[in-house]
Amino acid sequence: MQNKRAIFGAKGLPYLLLAPQLIITAIFFLWPAGQAIWQSFLREDAFGIKTTFVALENYSRLFADPSYLNALKVTVVFALSTAALSMGVALVLALAVDRTLRSARIYSTLLIWPYAVAPAVAGVLWWFMFNPTIGILPYLLKGVGYGWNHALDRGDAMTLVVISAAWKQISYNFLFFVAGLQAIPASLREAAAIDGAGPVRRFWTITLPLLSPTTFFLLVVTIVYTMFDTFGVIDAITEGGPAQSTNILVYKVYQDGFVGLNLGSSAAQSVVLMGIVIVLTVIQFRFVERRVNY
Amino acid sequence: MATLTLESLGKTYDSGASAVSGINIDVADGEFLVLVGPSGCGKSTLLRMIAGLETVTHGSIRIGPREVNRLEPADRDIAMVFQNYALYPHMSVRENLSYGLRNRRMARAEITRRVEEAARILEIGDFLERKPRALSGGQRQRVAMGRAIVREPSVFLFDEPLSNLDAKLRVTMRGEIRNLQKRLGTTSVYVTHDQLEAMTLADRLVVLRAGKVEQIGTPLEVYQRPASTFVAEFIGSPAMNLLDGVMEHGRLAIGTATMRLPDAHCGPVRVGVRAEDLRAVPGGTQGALPVRLSYVEELGSQRLGHFDCAGARLIAAFPSGQGLSEEMALMADPEALHLFGADGMRLT
Amino acid sequence: MVENQRWLNVLAHAVLILGVLVVALPVYIALVASTHESGVFLSGVIPMLPGRNMVETYSAVLRGGLSSQMSQPIWLMLGNSMIMAMMIAVGKIVISITSAFAIVYFRFPFRGLAFWMIFITLMLPVEVRILPTYKVIADLGMLNSYAGLSIPLIASATATFLFRQVFLTMPDELVEAARIDGAGPMKFFRDILLPLSRTNIAALFVILFIYGWNQYLWPLLVTTDPSYTTIVAGIKRMTDVADGTPQWNYIMAVAMLAMLPPVAVVVFMQRLFVKGLIETEK
Repeated sequence: MQNKRAIFGAKGLPYLLLAPQLIITAIFFLWPAGQAIWQSFLREDAFGIKTTFVALENYSRLFADPSYLNALKVTVVFALSTAALSMGVALVLALAVDRTLRSARIYSTLLIWPYAVAPAVAGVLWWFMFNPTIGILPYLLKGVGYGWNHALDRGDAMTLVVISAAWKQISYNFLFFVAGLQAIPASLREAAAIDGAGPVRRFWTITLPLLSPTTFFLLVVTIVYTMFDTFGVIDAITEGGPAQSTNILVYKVYQDGFVGLNLGSSAAQSVVLMGIVIVLTVIQFRFVERRVNY
Repeated sequence: MATLTLESLGKTYDSGASAVSGINIDVADGEFLVLVGPSGCGKSTLLRMIAGLETVTHGSIRIGPREVNRLEPADRDIAMVFQNYALYPHMSVRENLSYGLRNRRMARAEITRRVEEAARILEIGDFLERKPRALSGGQRQRVAMGRAIVREPSVFLFDEPLSNLDAKLRVTMRGEIRNLQKRLGTTSVYVTHDQLEAMTLADRLVVLRAGKVEQIGTPLEVYQRPASTFVAEFIGSPAMNLLDGVMEHGRLAIGTATMRLPDAHCGPVRVGVRAEDLRAVPGGTQGALPVRLSYVEELGSQRLGHFDCAGARLIAAFPSGQGLSEEMALMADPEALHLFGADGMRLT
Repeated sequence: MVENQRWLNVLAHAVLILGVLVVALPVYIALVASTHESGVFLSGVIPMLPGRNMVETYSAVLRGGLSSQMSQPIWLMLGNSMIMAMMIAVGKIVISITSAFAIVYFRFPFRGLAFWMIFITLMLPVEVRILPTYKVIADLGMLNSYAGLSIPLIASATATFLFRQVFLTMPDELVEAARIDGAGPMKFFRDILLPLSRTNIAALFVILFIYGWNQYLWPLLVTTDPSYTTIVAGIKRMTDVADGTPQWNYIMAVAMLAMLPPVAVVVFMQRLFVKGLIETEK
């Protein structure tokens, strides 16, 4: 930990200053997390009367449960598709903005505002647009012979939640790609141009490799976003359906815990999720440290 | 106005490493004392201990009759000028100057009087309402001094205050600091790694090495009678020449050259001689060192010859225009030689 | 630019205009929908051009809510959202800035432990500890209260790290000068540190306000009493009409109102927003 040379000597004051944060952390973060871990080793009977210690049984059941494995698979598909879509679109827009000098700021303003839209509201907007009976896009799709119905079709449902989640994340990725592009010294691209590389070739051989730290960082951030911040999108559009096809891990924890009241399983799922967040956070932090050095 | 007394002062870190130790210095009332030494010698730590920014683990610090070891910096009646000035960026010059006085709940009229007075002395009256970032380097430096002056402290502490200025401004400000201190007559302790700055400012200077006092004296004393090879090489530009020699029965031998020296020591010695004390003599003169010229530095007022003397490097100063040849002989008067023992300490 | 190729510039503008339009499309359609009467939606496809019912829709929504589905007027939900967002943003800033101050400017036993405790909150988003946190809130009797809505979301490692970073970049000499000028820790905090962190605080506030306003899952769980419903959580309940046809114009009007405050913050405080976004990811 970095240190200051000059420090104050007061004895009790630092504890007082830390107290609010630490108390909240202890009561609302550490205690519940501990409860989740403890609960994940227990099982309640159907009437909630008797609780027995079952060790890792909740976990072994979890990983034998097809619906949980399905949720895992759905989460991976959802996260990667959302990341690919939002990052791809954001990169194209960032490259375009990087070319326009004077109007860049206006375009940026017009592109970043979706960040401020709540995932749940984003879900409602897209759900409305794709509403099978009155939605504008299903109407157009019908014109080309495709019958859209995300309430019944698994592929349609996944497509819709991916689009909604990606829509909101484009702005974030766009901002960081623009910053990443601006950090590439113009002299490098000029040197490449003198070396005879055209715009497309320059992009693949100079811009993209130099952008790779930003890209990797955004990939991690977007995966974290899709895994934990898209509850509202799923809840507003599909509620995990049809037939579990959009039931991501976070949504399943909620469903099994609050709707299904299966406490042991929900707790075990929470613990697995914690493990995933920890891994992602560690990756992000190690990487950020390297980015600083770079 | 006050004296400053450091008595067997020392600081040892928790790790056991010693930052400074065994410091005994009496600073007279109104004296300008300069702490000088290479980086890492403990000079800044010592200054910060006086300021109260570093804890003291051994000995005592007294300002006047009062021991201040355990007092907060604000209660020690000192003021400090920092290397990077440490002006509060969000406050105007006036607020910067008055912040410490307001914290002491001084009467408003008195604050105004002192700020105006300091502004007048330092000629910063025109930008009292500006923020520090709107000032030039030299102006910031003055504001930093002003912040020290308004407190009318017993002791001024300066931590390399000129090192962020360009060379020309540094010379000007050096003169101003010196004049100001003389005018106010405030006891001052000034830290620098620049020996020229130390020489020109100090009433007395303290050469520090590895946390210990190597020598205390007026600039001239230190220059003329360095207490060790370390001081000899550190003070003066170009640095004093040091050659290996042997003393035997009142004769000093350096390589093939020998000369009589009224000195009783026996054994190997380090011989120091200043560039300006060397003169060219005809080859073969008794006691002269045969040397080979490597190159010449023209300084305008004089020229510095860099020589090779049996593997050792030697610098000699000559009047400009003096001809130098490839092979020469150089010599110094016996009384211009400084003898140091194997431990580097002065012998006589 | 390296070379002035006209077609590339044209392409860039074309891509950007297309991007802006696609990004804006869902909001445009929602806005249009909110300006029509509800009868329009029974007859097939959503209209693409604005209708003339805008004032009526919005005033009805704000004053009365959706009489058939909601008992609360929307302005009350907006108020709840505002209270929750402000409490979260201000709360996070206050507790983070004081803890960062303690961690950076003091040495005390268990300093490392405190740092790690705060760090760990980064790894425990509310979504992964929903059930037990809900139970804590229930046991503390904090269901259906503003405190219950906001306090469990207030601990923030990100904000603490941000302030720690800001403080670490401030020169040591500033504290030393302040100490010589007779300022104690709290005086230094108030007179020097807070004013110098002003823009960081503002930037962080923008981000945290949006974060707080957009909370969905947590308000959904802890507020069963409609008088505490926030607008983001409330909108979903409106769409859940089991059998009847949703009143699209009203729902879309509510959606517009739900996104208006945070979007306005981003648009009007763009510089702070970008600064906040980039700083919190360090």
